[in-house]
Amino acid sequence: MQTDASAMRILMNRSILWCAVFLASACGSDKSVTPPTTSHALTTLGEGRVTERFTGEIWVRGNIAYTTTWGSRSALGNAIKIWDVSGNVPALVDSVIVPNASTLGDIQASDDGQLLIVATEFSPGSIMIYSLADPVKPQLISRYMTALTAPGVHTAEVQRVNGVLYAFLSVDPASGTPARLVIADLSNPAAPTQVFTAVMGSPYVHDVFVRDGILMTALWNQGITIWDIGGAGNGSVSNPIALGNVQTVGGQVHNIWWFHNGVTGEKRYAFVGQEGPGAVGVASSGDIHVVDVSNFASPHEVAFYHLDGAGTHNFSVDETRGVLYAAYYNGGVRAIDITGDLSSCSAADRSADGRCDLAKMGREVAHGLGDVGPVYVWGVQLVGSTLFASDMLNGIWKLTAQ
Amino acid sequence: MRAGDIFGLGAQAIGVVTRVSPAIHGRDLTEGYLSQPALMAVLSPWGEALTLKATVNLEGLTIERGELTPGIYGEGYIDRRHPHTYLHELLVTSAHRFRPDGVSGASITVGKGFAPFGTDDPMARPFEKYPINHHLAQILERAVAIGAVRAGPWIFEAGAFNGDEPTGPGDVPNRNRYWDSWSGRITFVPWPQGEFQTSYARVKSPENPTGGGADQRKQSASIRLEDVQHSGYALFEWARTGDYVGSGRTFSFTSLLAETSARYDRMSGALRIESTERPDEQRLLDEFRTPVPGTDLSIAGRSRWTIISGRVAANVVNARSFTIEPFAEVGRAKVSPTLRPSGFDPRQFYGSDRIWSVSVGARLAFGMPHMRMGRYGVAIAEKPRAKMGGMNMDNM
Repeated sequence: MQTDASAMRILMNRSILWCAVFLASACGSDKSVTPPTTSHALTTLGEGRVTERFTGEIWVRGNIAYTTTWGSRSALGNAIKIWDVSGNVPALVDSVIVPNASTLGDIQASDDGQLLIVATEFSPGSIMIYSLADPVKPQLISRYMTALTAPGVHTAEVQRVNGVLYAFLSVDPASGTPARLVIADLSNPAAPTQVFTAVMGSPYVHDVFVRDGILMTALWNQGITIWDIGGAGNGSVSNPIALGNVQTVGGQVHNIWWFHNGVTGEKRYAFVGQEGPGAVGVASSGDIHVVDVSNFASPHEVAFYHLDGAGTHNFSVDETRGVLYAAYYNGGVRAIDITGDLSSCSAADRSADGRCDLAKMGREVAHGLGDVGPVYVWGVQLVGSTLFASDMLNGIWKLTAQ
Repeated sequence: MRAGDIFGLGAQAIGVVTRVSPAIHGRDLTEGYLSQPALMAVLSPWGEALTLKATVNLEGLTIERGELTPGIYGEGYIDRRHPHTYLHELLVTSAHRFRPDGVSGASITVGKGFAPFGTDDPMARPFEKYPINHHLAQILERAVAIGAVRAGPWIFEAGAFNGDEPTGPGDVPNRNRYWDSWSGRITFVPWPQGEFQTSYARVKSPENPTGGGADQRKQSASIRLEDVQHSGYALFEWARTGDYVGSGRTFSFTSLLAETSARYDRMSGALRIESTERPDEQRLLDEFRTPVPGTDLSIAGRSRWTIISGRVAANVVNARSFTIEPFAEVGRAKVSPTLRPSGFDPRQFYGSDRIWSVSVGARLAFGMPHMRMGRYGVAIAEKPRAKMGGMNMDNM
């Protein structure tokens, strides 16, 4: 190619200008926001601090709390922390290190308090089954892992169906392996047996909710599916029968709580947590979606709760008073009034797609951990009039409930 | 037409020992590898009318655990560079020049290789250690269909490809993901050794092969300069990748890079300065690995890596088609979280926010020299010479 010097200069100048315009037009930044609130603050009673690991889920039974750990800090997330929560300030009693695990997501005690079940990620994914004969000294009974759980067990829900204790394992997808649900019979905790498995979720199955012989699965972009496992017909744990499905707005379905109103007996609403994109410590997203499940065959979303700048994670519900407590990551804890008809609201409190906006309806009744510095709340659990929260950044908090 | 004009064959490998301090949890690591073992072949039976290009990369056999490279990430590896797929490139290109003695023309390319986006693959650049912006500045190992048109100093490329990244050395592009992603690149070549390019790409769910993961929108702009004798080279590069869920951007990762090299007789030296943001993700039991796909759409944090690297090398054997080039490279990285508080604190994780890397080794090459990688057909800025002497096809 031949060109004279002046033409070359013009070309150079134009190209530099062109690149500069491109670079300038492409500039941008991630937003950082502070969640606003006008509800009253829950009283913080005390904190049990964890600094060497990120804290995961929480389970409280009596005066003992168990928290799991996540990811990599100065140490791997392979520890179960055991806390005495009888006082205002949770006191660390002991820790259990889980071998061959980098994250312990979910933790739950069985309804009779005999067993403690912990989910482990990543490969080898498993559940650890401990005896709680001495609640502050869990003793390992068995580790349940199979080829199907190998990619990692994201959550493990432990529930009794027709008198039999089961673990419902939401298994991570892996390269070439889709996500799946595995149900294991824990009748003999030393040798759990698989009773059902199926590929499900798009691309994840993150959690389930089991109650009254009904299984609800959180299938990410496929929404929630309701299954009969013995409570609504011919289904069973080993042969779940799908009854209905709803894709909640935005998908990203992470968790579910089917609310049984302790006063009216109504079982109309399931609360669905949406886990949108986030960055640990600073950002999260995702709404709470309210699904009318009065007809399992045609569940439909009727309302939602949105908090600017933060997203929800796990729930605990005071079913007598009708208050849903939601972990809200960097938004702390939110308490929402879920009594009454959530599908009925004024036009001003309705979103463009017709759903009722619980925030606009003034149903946020309290918030917690808004004044303790940065938090990233993973889970909450209500015990009597006390609310416990696990905080990825700081450890465990004890608060007075609404 | 001579045999060398029709067929070219080359091979290379780099033996290298790397020490990183600290590599993880305050510990230093020293490891040795046979890195970048590759076989390259080009067949052009009818000149530019039909060109078959193939590159076989054997890193899956030699660096399956990944090569220590502080800050690098991608395809399930972190702080270790992942091995590339065995079939790195296999493409057919047909090009037509509008005039026999001109550069203007058009070409189409189909096969597995680089999408028309960003800059040359680091394997074809001066340093043995990759820059950590590899997954921001190139899109590679995809099933691609690329059209290119050159009009004088302007080159226009557009391509469609599969969005999913490889998940292992033996992985192939997922058929049900073919053509779900696209990119375009405009290059301005004011003189034969100067290139100004800008490119844009939309990549569907790269980190979740079955789909449903975050999408990416990628931008790149660069200036590449080289002297006529190929003894001096400089690259200035900007790249940004934004993660998107639907139409909403969640996070973005930006990179600025400048690198230069100069050769005098048998000696050469190179300098690279890079400032790149990377996503910090959950790690597996092997803390140099991350889950693929991730378990949700969140990241643990985002950190900025500012890395200064230097290299010296000497071409001690340069026979007709065989070269041995011993080298030494030193890199110093400073790491700082850009989101605070963060789910990834480099001082907690590494034991320091300053990391040194020293590598010593030798590059062995046989036959056809390593070509520039990332462009095909008329999109190669410098038109191939009419007659290629022996196996010298460095402008292909």
